[in-house]
Amino acid sequence: MFNIIKTRIKEGIKTKKINIEDIKKDNIVIFNEELKNKLLNKSKNKNFTNNISVRVVDSGSCNACLHEMSALTNPYYDMERFGFKFVAAPKHADVLMVAGCVARNMYSALLKTYENVPYPKFVVAIGDCAMNGGVFKDSYATLGGIQDKLTVDILIKGCPPEPIDILAGLLLAFGK
Amino acid sequence: MKNKLDFIQNLDKDIKEAVTENFYNQDNELVLKINLKDLKKICLYFFKDLKFYLLSAFAADESKNDGNKFKIRYIFSHSSIDLFIIIETETGGTFPSLSEEIPALNWYEREMKDLFGLIPEGHPDPRPLMLFPENYPQDIQNMHPLRKDYPFNFRPEFKKYGEYNYNKDVKGDGVFNILVGPVHAGIIEPGHFRFSMSGEPILQLEIRHFWKHRGIEKIAEGKTISEALSLAEKISGDHCVAHSLAFLAAAEKILNIKIPENALYIRTIYAELERLLCNINDFAWLFQDAGYSFGAQETFVLKEDIMELNKYLSGSRFNKGILSLGGINTCGNIDNLRKNVLKEKLSNFNKRYLNLKKMLLNSSTIGERFEETGYINKETILDLCALGFAARASGVPSDTRKEHPYLIYDKLRFNSKVLKNRDVFARLLIRFYDIEESFSIITQCLNELPAEDINKSGREYADNNVNNTGNNISKNKSKNDRCIIAKDDKIDAAQQLSTNRLRSWALGYCESQRGNIMHFVELDEKSRISRWKIRDPSFHNWQLIEFAVIGDIIADFPIVNKSLNLSYAGNDL
Ligand code: SF4
Repeated sequence: MFNIIKTRIKEGIKTKKINIEDIKKDNIVIFNEELKNKLLNKSKNKNFTNNISVRVVDSGSCNACLHEMSALTNPYYDMERFGFKFVAAPKHADVLMVAGCVARNMYSALLKTYENVPYPKFVVAIGDCAMNGGVFKDSYATLGGIQDKLTVDILIKGCPPEPIDILAGLLLAFGK
Repeated sequence: MKNKLDFIQNLDKDIKEAVTENFYNQDNELVLKINLKDLKKICLYFFKDLKFYLLSAFAADESKNDGNKFKIRYIFSHSSIDLFIIIETETGGTFPSLSEEIPALNWYEREMKDLFGLIPEGHPDPRPLMLFPENYPQDIQNMHPLRKDYPFNFRPEFKKYGEYNYNKDVKGDGVFNILVGPVHAGIIEPGHFRFSMSGEPILQLEIRHFWKHRGIEKIAEGKTISEALSLAEKISGDHCVAHSLAFLAAAEKILNIKIPENALYIRTIYAELERLLCNINDFAWLFQDAGYSFGAQETFVLKEDIMELNKYLSGSRFNKGILSLGGINTCGNIDNLRKNVLKEKLSNFNKRYLNLKKMLLNSSTIGERFEETGYINKETILDLCALGFAARASGVPSDTRKEHPYLIYDKLRFNSKVLKNRDVFARLLIRFYDIEESFSIITQCLNELPAEDINKSGREYADNNVNNTGNNISKNKSKNDRCIIAKDDKIDAAQQLSTNRLRSWALGYCESQRGNIMHFVELDEKSRISRWKIRDPSFHNWQLIEFAVIGDIIADFPIVNKSLNLSYAGNDL
């Protein structure tokens, strides 16, 4: 343990730096024109400033997208420094982050989770599957992508998108 | 039982008589064709008497060729001989259920019932498996998606059709149920668990999976090999290399493609990198779930570093898209520069990993929580034919790299450790051994990596075949390409030729981090997929959890679950 602490103190960890200006925007699509306005109003409420709670739902991903989302909490990306955090219940969430196509068996569970997120709520879709179902678009066992089923506010493309892209997308949309 | 080729001679007499036809599809794939009435006798002979392991069981719709016919195949193997026994039989609509005798067949038979409409007669639990009674019409005769006459994109109307019934209820004073899922609190895939409890200890656990059933096997039908390869990467994202390897192994066997030596080494390196990554990831989550954040974050940093290394090597954090039919894509090539970086990084990772391991083993909290938790008995393992490290932690050897060597594993020096302790801690220790072996295997591969003798065999093969048809165009094009295989269009040309085809199907297998992956691939005359059965190790191992948690307290469930860390996506397909 002391060896590890020693190395950490000596070398440290370089948390990835993100500048809003440098963000490559080709992987990030923001659909919701009103999003900014909504957020502006929201940030007048002091309770919401710098604190966006994210709830993750997997509705049919291949789990690579999930790995990338959970990477957001590691010291390299550390999304909590920007005030984003993952929460355990949809009732606590502002943002619903969904990965994967909509599998038929998951659809009702996805809707229930969505309904339980209090208003104003935002949907962030992660990955090509979520965009339009990807290769699973036409399958008997899916209902297409998230976009076909929920109003998606932000879409982050990639298969899987890299954590830095997901973080950048969140930052861009929520104007930190 | 050592000799593959006269294996059939040494079987019991009445078994030999029951076999109507036998042949070798490959030198390690022995096919025994039998009549449906002898199915039970022969399967039980292999499973009970010869102690063979069930690796897969699946149906295929052969109706197009002649009548309403389905083929059912059972694949067995044994750890002491490099041989797969494929028992093949035909049926028109029903088959005898063997789940009572071979519990590992339980889900397989229910799967066949859902997807093909074949009825397992006498099945103890014939509820639907992946076509949920709530979401799919159960009364419709034709809701059997894997039949050939089912259009791949036909979706019945979405509404509530029926109710789900739990299998068994536990009743008694003070017994209560806790329902969890399908959406979990953390960043976890969906699955539903019902714990029946009395006080703290768990009396019974019932798992319900297949929430993410996406119909991969159906989508793949009619696709070309390269299209199917990209699907293979989406079966279970963290195991994309292993699944692509297994799929390609089968496809290459069917098309008779030889892979260049150099590409074999590189494939091995990537396979081991993936094993390393997954093991480190599990290791981190075990720390996390035991409430040891410092260790967990430190391990997550290590994981992130490995992923960054992957990105440096191949451009993808999961090494997606590096494999192609016949070898390796250019993006995955390991040249001298990358070789040196890889060596350097690995020795750094190894040092850090050893520190972490020492820390974990010295921590008394970890020991307290992991030891004597989540026992899985050897009998359970054998009955459910559990695979990979889960089996090895309970005293059952299971490692495809040793049993059925593929790639270059027969040339490498490594051990596949077997422990007897059966608990969570044993599964953690097995991971340590696996991680160390992975480091050593990658180092061996790097040291022995043959010089970049570009695409000799792969290209020559394709060129020869293209020449045979009098088409020389692609030969002229080949000067500039730098990949270790023949370029795609040439392989494609080669695929069109059926002259080189010795067979129409083959097994593809490999050892992923979770255990054996088994693919069955059948191609039609145009080299398009006609049946692809995918079997992730999770499909066998999920059922272990129901047994592993009995008697433990519910707070230990996350640890037991993580100690197996199974894939939901690979299980649900
Ligand atoms: S977008 Fe790609 S990585 Fe994400 S769930 Fe779909 S297939 Fe997997």
